[in-house]
Amino acid sequence: MSVIDIRRPDLMFPDVADKVHAPPIAEQSRDSSKTGDDKRSFVQLVRPHLGDAHSLARWITGDRSGAEEVVQEASSRAFRAIRTAAGARPRAWLLTIVRDCAYTWLQKHQGKPLTRSGFHGVEDKQSGRARACNPSDTTITASSEARHLEAAIFALPAPFRETLVLRDMLGLSYSEIAEVTDGPIGIVMSRLADARGRVIRTIGRKSS
Amino acid sequence: MTDALYRDKSILVHAYLDGELDSANTLAFEEQMSSDRELAAECERIKAYQDLVRKHFPRTEAPAGLRVRIDAQVGASRPTVQHSWRDSWRALAASIVVTAVLASGATSFILSPEPTDTARDAVVAAHIRSLMAPNPIDIASSDKHTVKPWFNGKIPDAPRVVDLAPASFPLVGGRLDVVAHTAVPTLVYRHAKHLISLTAVPAPGRSDSGAASQSTGGYNILNWTNDGITYWAVSDVQSSDLSTFARLFRVTPADR
Repeated sequence: MSVIDIRRPDLMFPDVADKVHAPPIAEQSRDSSKTGDDKRSFVQLVRPHLGDAHSLARWITGDRSGAEEVVQEASSRAFRAIRTAAGARPRAWLLTIVRDCAYTWLQKHQGKPLTRSGFHGVEDKQSGRARACNPSDTTITASSEARHLEAAIFALPAPFRETLVLRDMLGLSYSEIAEVTDGPIGIVMSRLADARGRVIRTIGRKSS
Repeated sequence: MTDALYRDKSILVHAYLDGELDSANTLAFEEQMSSDRELAAECERIKAYQDLVRKHFPRTEAPAGLRVRIDAQVGASRPTVQHSWRDSWRALAASIVVTAVLASGATSFILSPEPTDTARDAVVAAHIRSLMAPNPIDIASSDKHTVKPWFNGKIPDAPRVVDLAPASFPLVGGRLDVVAHTAVPTLVYRHAKHLISLTAVPAPGRSDSGAASQSTGGYNILNWTNDGITYWAVSDVQSSDLSTFARLFRVTPADR
């Protein structure tokens, strides 16, 4: 597999090395002036939020290179749909696509070892899915507080973790989170309360 | 309504801290918290957790390599041979994206409406400009009895001015900003070494709403609506400090 075969839209996630050499999407457009508009829209609407997109992808996949694949795939989809689908809240729109891509990535990589995991976690090829670090084999450093917090968040079931990340890491409003996770605000509120409660109890146990 | 709302205060404490309650419910919740020590303790635990998250997981840029790859993917425009299947592929890609969600009716009525980007951008720009100007204020005074009359005669309604010096948010002065082609009053408060701009934009007919927070370009922003006026607080103080400021401003009577 040397290039993306775009006749196979089901082939969502070829290896990242192939992605690097993927032909520019802009080439696929027939009308160059429209492509120029799309590029401007992309720069205005999508590019400012790539950092948030990458964070969300990492917290969902728990995998560093996987997160990059996810964001790249999501950016492609966003670019192709930018004329028709980008709404009044581009960040929420992009994160909706990122979330979708991230869960697809997780499904495809079920059971495979992850390359690297978390943010403050140690690199560990054997570690389980979405597990930041194994507390027993980490040396105590100034950032052990950070690793405990990270492990507690990664231990949350995915629907709770994503809600917490969207609110507490990325600062989305409840209504934006409802848009991204495709659910009612009441569910957002109860999941957020539950997720924060679990994390607070976990880090409380660690520090006592 | 109140009974139904407070049945699950363990959920509402989060909405309160996230600035998602409207002002009536914010005040009611604060009143309840003042007499409920367990609730107040829970509130403190959540705040401590939020501080920890902010400290260890600040928002970041995407890795440079990833940004370059993405730019390359959408940026190049070499002409190439067209094939008919590309159109169907693009249509399919467009249809993948689905964003549709409505709040459940049961909870949305206590939540704030979304702020408008135009007003937000104007107040943030005014705040930044004021920091670069020789003087961030048009009228410098810590006395609300000096600041408030200064606005009279310049704009139809002088803003509500409250004295928050005892809570370490001293009034520094006021200035006029322009939002949507209208001159609006801005009060400037100080907290430690930071300035807080509080702009009052008339919003006739808009219903009251609780404080909604966001941030842009390193500035934290809170907005809420009260008595037909939308208030915008902009500052580089921590968002928790800005929330405290907003809460104090809303609960402190102007005539004290």
